[in-house]
This record gives sequence, structure tokens and C-alpha cells, in this order.
Amino acid sequence: MSTLILFDNEAVQALGDPNHPKHRRVLSHVEVVAQRRRRAVPVTLAVPTTVRVEAGWDGMDRRWALANHLRITDEPLGPAQANVAAGIRSRTGVSVTDAHLGAVIRATSVTNITVLTSDTKDVRAVAGARAVKVIAV
Amino acid sequence: MPGRHFAKPDLQSIYMSPPCQYPVCTTVLWYTRTMVKNEAIERIAELLDSSDTETANTSMRLPRALRDAAALAVEELGAAPTATTLTAVALRGMLEALLMQAALDQHYGQHPQARPSLGDLTVAAAELDGHPLAGQSELLYQSAAEIVRTHPGANADDVLLWAEARATASA
Repeated sequence: MSTLILFDNEAVQALGDPNHPKHRRVLSHVEVVAQRRRRAVPVTLAVPTTVRVEAGWDGMDRRWALANHLRITDEPLGPAQANVAAGIRSRTGVSVTDAHLGAVIRATSVTNITVLTSDTKDVRAVAGARAVKVIAV
Repeated sequence: MPGRHFAKPDLQSIYMSPPCQYPVCTTVLWYTRTMVKNEAIERIAELLDSSDTETANTSMRLPRALRDAAALAVEELGAAPTATTLTAVALRGMLEALLMQAALDQHYGQHPQARPSLGDLTVAAAELDGHPLAGQSELLYQSAAEIVRTHPGANADDVLLWAEARATASA
């Protein structure tokens, strides 16, 4: 069964900054994913593009070279997801990035969804009826 | 990933750099190898991100049994539209995993303090799996320390199994 692992803002910041106190913790999860992918376990790392914006992850900036190599796919905010995100934001009052995260969670066809986050409460709020594994970084 | 920057080392200047003055110094050789490896990582990433769908015949030789197994998996199990697709998907998956690990290893070389311990990896694996011991990080770190004494090549899943056995035995 396929697994989708999503990053929130602080998880991305921790990933991109070797001096971040949670850098090693986030890398631990990424390394486990790399090991599993070598065993052909279907697991995907992804990040909502608004999260990248908030975290300052500029894909053209060499400071993000490590993150750029980790096969983390972008989840863009297209028209349909923007509508869903707007609804989530109106109802829950969460940030734009969390609303986008919620829209990604609700749209994916993947059953196993995991979120690496510093804000477990908001992630559960935006996930709606979708079952999500929340890992606090 | 399209639109992302991958640092490009300047190999030309490395090759042209003056040799080290000390007779047994291997610094230049080490540096050159490291930079060649870095260049390979960048190039592999670029190639995997390429939208070029042009195909090429290869002279790659597969074991006949493997080729026949792939053909059967396609025809009878619907594993992929074609054996070629099946092979390409599997190859891409392995290359992406290798690239991830190579990038991590490259990063650990520059930032040794960032390298997770076996205990860190075990906690992460337990959390990703939703393992019942995920909340017992002390037990997982202790199990990692124990198992690595007799099995230096143990991985996070080995430690998890060991920790589970310990927890069951002490219950």
C-alpha cells in the first residue's frame, strides 16, 4: 500500500537548515524513507507549494540543494485545490499553508497519509474526515 | 524536480588545480573524487527530472529468467502495460532511492552532526509505521544501543523487532 508523507512549514525549515534544532530529526524520517524506497516500498515525499513559499524554499537557491535532491514532489495550488483550501480556511481559521495542506490531504487518492509537522492540532483540523498519521517534529 | 537548482561543481578548475606539495598527500585525489561524485549526483538528478521521453535501444543484457518473469508479470498479473515500462519504473525507483541516499551521505560528509543515530532512525521508523512502541523512545534508543554491540550492521527495522521482543518478554 502506497504512503504519502507531507511536510509542513517547520519540517521544511528544519530540513533546509543544518543548524535547525530539528534538522537531524527530520533527516531521520527522510533516511528511513530512502531505505524503504531501496526496498521498493511505495512511499512518496511531497510538499504543498505554499509551504515552500512560507519556509523560503527557493528551488533555484543552492542553499536548498539537499532538499532539491530528496525527490520531494511539489503539490501545487491549482484552481480546484484553491477552492477547497479557501473553504477549509473559512471554516477553521487556519493559515493559508495549512489550508493548502488540508486540500492536498483531501484530494489525494493515497490511503496512508502522514504529515511531519510542528502543529499537530491544525493538521487534524484541516484533514477533515481523512485519516492522517501526524508526526510531531 | 523541474525548476530546482542543483549546485554544479566546476570540475575543470579542480582538475587544473596545482598538485599538493607534500609527497604522500592525497588531499587533491580525495577532493577530486568527492567532486566527481557530487557532479554525478547532480547529473543523475537532472536526468531523472528530464521530460525527454525519447527512448533508446540498449545493449543491456538481462538474465533470461528475469526477462521471462517480467513478461509473465505484465501479461498475467497486469503489473504494467509492457515489460519495458515495468523495467523502467523499477529502475527509476531504485535510482531515486540511491540518489536520496547519496545526497544524504553527501550532506552528512559536510555536516557530521546531522547524521541520525540508529536510535534516531528506529524512532523515525516506528513513527512512520505507527508502531505501538513509537511513543517509547527511551526503549528504542536502549534497544538500538544493545543490538549494535552484537550486530553492527543492524537497521532500524531490526531494532524495532528486538525492542518488540523485549517488550513482549517483559510484559
